[in-house]
Amino acid sequence: MEPAIETHGLTKRFGDRVAVDAIDLRVPRGSAFGFLGPNGAGKTTMIRMLLGLTRSSAGTASLLGYPVPAERAIALQRVGAIVEEPRFHPQLSGWENLSIVAAVRGPEVRERIAPALARVGLSDRGGDKVKKYSLGMRQRLGVARCLLADPQLLILDEPTNGLDPGGIQEFRLMIRELVEQEGRTVFLSSHLLDEVEKTCDSAAIVDRGKVVMQGPIAELAGGGRGAAHELDLGVDDTDLALATLAKLDLVREAHRVEAGVRVLLAGKVETAAAINAALVHAGVGVLRLEPVRHTLEQRFLEVTARLDAPITDEPRPEEPA
Amino acid sequence: MNPTIAAQMIRADFLKLRRKRGTLIWALVLALGPIVIYFAVSVIEHASNPVRYGPAGGAQNFRDGLRVIALFFGPLAAILIGVEAGTGDVSAGVFRDLVVTGRSRLALFASRVPAALALCWIVMLAGYVLLAGGTFGFASNLPTPSSTTMIDGFLFTFLGTGVLCVVAVGVASLTTSKPAAIIALIAWQVVASPLISRVGALGSARKGVLTQAIAHFSPVPVGGDIIVMSAATAVIVLAVWIALFLGLGAWRTRTMDS
Repeated sequence: MEPAIETHGLTKRFGDRVAVDAIDLRVPRGSAFGFLGPNGAGKTTMIRMLLGLTRSSAGTASLLGYPVPAERAIALQRVGAIVEEPRFHPQLSGWENLSIVAAVRGPEVRERIAPALARVGLSDRGGDKVKKYSLGMRQRLGVARCLLADPQLLILDEPTNGLDPGGIQEFRLMIRELVEQEGRTVFLSSHLLDEVEKTCDSAAIVDRGKVVMQGPIAELAGGGRGAAHELDLGVDDTDLALATLAKLDLVREAHRVEAGVRVLLAGKVETAAAINAALVHAGVGVLRLEPVRHTLEQRFLEVTARLDAPITDEPRPEEPA
Repeated sequence: MNPTIAAQMIRADFLKLRRKRGTLIWALVLALGPIVIYFAVSVIEHASNPVRYGPAGGAQNFRDGLRVIALFFGPLAAILIGVEAGTGDVSAGVFRDLVVTGRSRLALFASRVPAALALCWIVMLAGYVLLAGGTFGFASNLPTPSSTTMIDGFLFTFLGTGVLCVVAVGVASLTTSKPAAIIALIAWQVVASPLISRVGALGSARKGVLTQAIAHFSPVPVGGDIIVMSAATAVIVLAVWIALFLGLGAWRTRTMDS
């Protein structure tokens, strides 16, 4: 089956500035795919190209197997999208706003309004004017608008912006249900590492318009600088453990940490058993031994070369609105 | 696009417009207010001095009222409605959400025009009914317009305001800015058109002024600086205005980043 999204060399230039730089992307169907990057990395521009909201400068793209923009009308029939924050006609109710999109999509879509509102928990508020909605309610109404398409693919751009922790949790669960129970594909753009890590099966990390890494979340998180080659040890005698480890060829480096000893292995993580044996042989009681699991955040910071700069929510001035 | 979807889209655009309360209220104020004021002043004058001031209704007052609704304040109401139709989706930020349905941008643009015309003509109908009511209700012993004149006046009102409304949809879609479109259109209609019409040096070029072409179809003398032209010329002028601005609006809607 064709991937849900596929791009080759997709590029967008604004004058001399390259906002999206020859991106190759392959999003498998039936999964949640994170498009992760700091503000200004080119995520929204990429989405706008995929949806035909702006023209690409070079490269090709396809949605659900249909090339865009050539066959975007067919492709978008089964695509639901939220680009940036969901916007509505404030003078209309939630139901009326959905009815407008239903009218544009086709006669059969009107029947999906009530189920879509129910799906996002807005059945009781569907008759209220949108100007009375909270941001979280508008986000949910945005998802309901996506669901009108009975989408095989949902493209969500920063969907949890403005949601409170409870709302984020609800949203995360809903995404997983859409993927696992309904078999839909979700393409989720975000600068929130935690959101992508907890919601998505795989991800691409994008920075300065380029995809710097893509793959399953576990691989991305674990494939960093020595990430899979570290151990955390809990021992009864830290000094003896450090002395013992210092003599082992299997160990490149060992140092004291708050919870015990952090060991940087010279080889693969499978050598942990040999290290354990050596420590026990030296009379060190090993209370705990576990591979260090690096988070996607650490990986993200590594690949985007921002180890010495905090991630900021401030948009870069060059990012188009 | 099949007729069912087209009808749905037009209804959806009409819904957006009629629920835009501020625009609707101002359009009604412009369409009804001057007629109400005109008749109210005329009735008071007649009541205070019947010898000097005749009854408020009748054919002569119908003529003045028709000029007010079809050539002055009615077009302003039509501009407000047309501009709202042309910019509503963009200013609310939902245009991109409509584009990502896959529906063609030209179809999204096209559905604005009949929706705007429908609301414009409903408002004008209310104004015209008020005018007709005053014309006959306050006529007393004065002659009243014939039924033919009334029908022609009705069609003239719809033509004048309809053309302005369609041009406003095009201009607003072109600029995508509600304030810019309203200012440009009202300035053109209220200031520039009368001035240009008075510049004799421009000669027959003044036939290109939209109001002049509309005034050609008036069933009653409308006064002012009227440039004489044939019906064919007037039709061509109106067609060019409509085609030009609808074309520009459609082009902008089709090509702009959303």
